[in-house]
Amino acid sequence: MYRLFLLPTMIINVAVIFIPAILTIVLAFYRWDGISEPTFIGLGNFERLWDDRIFWKALKNNIIWTALFLTFPIIVGLIAASLMLTVRRGSTLFQVIYLIPLIISAVITARVWQGMIYNPQSGIVGLLNRFGIEVYDPLSRTATALYGVAVVDLWHWWGFMAVIFFAALRQVPQEQIESARIEGATFFQMMRWVLIPGIMPTIRLMMVMTIIWSFLVFDFVYVMTQGGPASSSEVLSTLAYRQAFYELKVGSAAAIALVISAFGLVATFFYLRLQRKEGEE
Amino acid sequence: MTKFKLCKIGVLLSSMLVAAPAFSADKTVNWWYESANPQQQEILSKNMIDKFNVSGNGHNVVIDYRGDALTQQLRVALLSGTGPDVVQTPGPAFVASMARAGQLMPLDDIAANKGWEDRILPFFMDLGRFDGKLYALPKTYETLGLFYNKKVMADNGWSVPTTITEFEKMADEMVSKGIVPIGAGNSNWRPANEWHVTLALNSIAGPDNLQKALTGEMSWTEKPFLDSVNALKRWWDKGYFGDDYFSISTEQMISNLAEGMSAMAPTGSWSFGDVPTYFADQLDNVGFAGFPSGEGVAYPIYALGIGTTFSIASKAENPEGAAEVIDFMFDDEFYTAMNNEWQGEWNLPLRDLSGIKLSEDVLPEYTESMAALASAIDKNQYGYTSWTFMPPNTNSYVVSGIEEVWLDSISPEQFLAELDEIFQRELAEGKAFEIPAR
Repeated sequence: MYRLFLLPTMIINVAVIFIPAILTIVLAFYRWDGISEPTFIGLGNFERLWDDRIFWKALKNNIIWTALFLTFPIIVGLIAASLMLTVRRGSTLFQVIYLIPLIISAVITARVWQGMIYNPQSGIVGLLNRFGIEVYDPLSRTATALYGVAVVDLWHWWGFMAVIFFAALRQVPQEQIESARIEGATFFQMMRWVLIPGIMPTIRLMMVMTIIWSFLVFDFVYVMTQGGPASSSEVLSTLAYRQAFYELKVGSAAAIALVISAFGLVATFFYLRLQRKEGEE
Repeated sequence: MTKFKLCKIGVLLSSMLVAAPAFSADKTVNWWYESANPQQQEILSKNMIDKFNVSGNGHNVVIDYRGDALTQQLRVALLSGTGPDVVQTPGPAFVASMARAGQLMPLDDIAANKGWEDRILPFFMDLGRFDGKLYALPKTYETLGLFYNKKVMADNGWSVPTTITEFEKMADEMVSKGIVPIGAGNSNWRPANEWHVTLALNSIAGPDNLQKALTGEMSWTEKPFLDSVNALKRWWDKGYFGDDYFSISTEQMISNLAEGMSAMAPTGSWSFGDVPTYFADQLDNVGFAGFPSGEGVAYPIYALGIGTTFSIASKAENPEGAAEVIDFMFDDEFYTAMNNEWQGEWNLPLRDLSGIKLSEDVLPEYTESMAALASAIDKNQYGYTSWTFMPPNTNSYVVSGIEEVWLDSISPEQFLAELDEIFQRELAEGKAFEIPAR
């Protein structure tokens, strides 16, 4: 009887996750324009992606994006969280401030940065240029467009990491921190030997989630550059979106979605393995 | 609660129930519209909803503003058998696949019944036919041309160029004087790239060659197209597009033109909608002309585009109502009312415009440009916009590929070779558009 309690969740999971996931996997082996009858083409979509230079560019951009998000927000988030733990005064206020960028809609954040900061006419970049300080809109250059978008997403994201780490740090046994202090540990020694090992499971989880989220990134890139200029900021999800909805290549877009999922699965696999290892220890 | 209050509520509820059938007697017609700002929504509401719903035809129209992702939402909705009664697509190329998949209703009987053939220009009716049946009517026809700042041109002794040679000579002078010759930007609308490709293909390769390529009679790698793309690349390298193309929005493009930062802005007739905002008290300074033509190509060539089409969903809950809504729009009164207040988006292809008298507040350049376009069609001097006449994947490649040419990721030859490969594949798959004979 108690199994009936599982039913609502099961129905939602099957309808919202399982069926679309299966359909996506199946569609990756079909040529389909999203409207007419699909045609089975085996590995045709994957073969075409293999030869598509934009796909490789997008994949490379996703890897760069992942590397950026695995380092900067985690390091800065850890430092900010440990500072909030050490200097308790005002930590609630700082948590609110850190979270503000996260609660603003991604589209608004992106438009504000694009129009009021980066824009060479209406933004701060334009203002600096008028004062004779030569800067350019990073979104307008192929070498910097991806990083220009990443800066905005990092600004919006790192505070969330800080708050998560702060919540985890508060669970570290107070006795360990106190004894480290009595032993005369410096801030970095405290971080290295007490705090970071104490919240390692949280850091690991956040790293895995970061890898998954980084391969799903879409909103900031789509709003700010739509993958341009010259596909320099294209990522897999914007490429899949363009193929599905503009080029009517739904099968190919499904193949890209599988590639995105594969990276997430690999990350999840390693996370579960680590978790099991920890459990055994 | 007192008995008296309960009685009052009871009476109120009963009167609502009695009155309900009176409200629901008219059948609802659902129409999903693309994005429109609050002012535009008010204009549409005033001239469409308010008038249609009291016309006594037994239908009430409801307009749902779906934003820029209307097409994507429509695809999903029609596939699942839901969606609006009035189907608004961004052009005939989108209609083709929907019609072939049975998602749209053939309109031949309704057209005959309502006399649409007599009221709508035949050329545009033909663009809505697929496999011998009528599936769509064009909402607005549009063209690309050269907006220019008359004051900047006069102050510098420049006149509107009619040939590519004159255009390049003048543009070189503009660059040397720090004026951007081609005021343009794509930061908010990446497909703005295709306006420039369309202009170059029509004005340099010419519409005859373009028609051959679009029907598969000629390869995209042929010299006329290479000359067109080489010209675009040359203009980019010489700085005609300025330094901020990827940062400027389409609104800033018109604003810069008004402020004299740029002298010319190649864009579409829809930009007339932005002119009053940015030119404000200097409306006399805005000019519009055909884009200069290359050697051997007549001047001016106006590339023809259909911004939007109307169809009826095959699973529409109220197809009669949808037909009434469409019919309501192809009318002198509606045409006049919409074009008086919202120029560039409601240029319905009515066959006879002699009964139309637009308000004196409407820019004369707008009226003249529309007359010039009609004359160009009449004289066979019309061209083809990429978004109307190219199949979806080819069109998407034009938008992304030209950026790669400009920024040296690929050569013009490679761009055309890839364009040709994509087009031939779509042609073989039956996705290419049926181009009417010239």
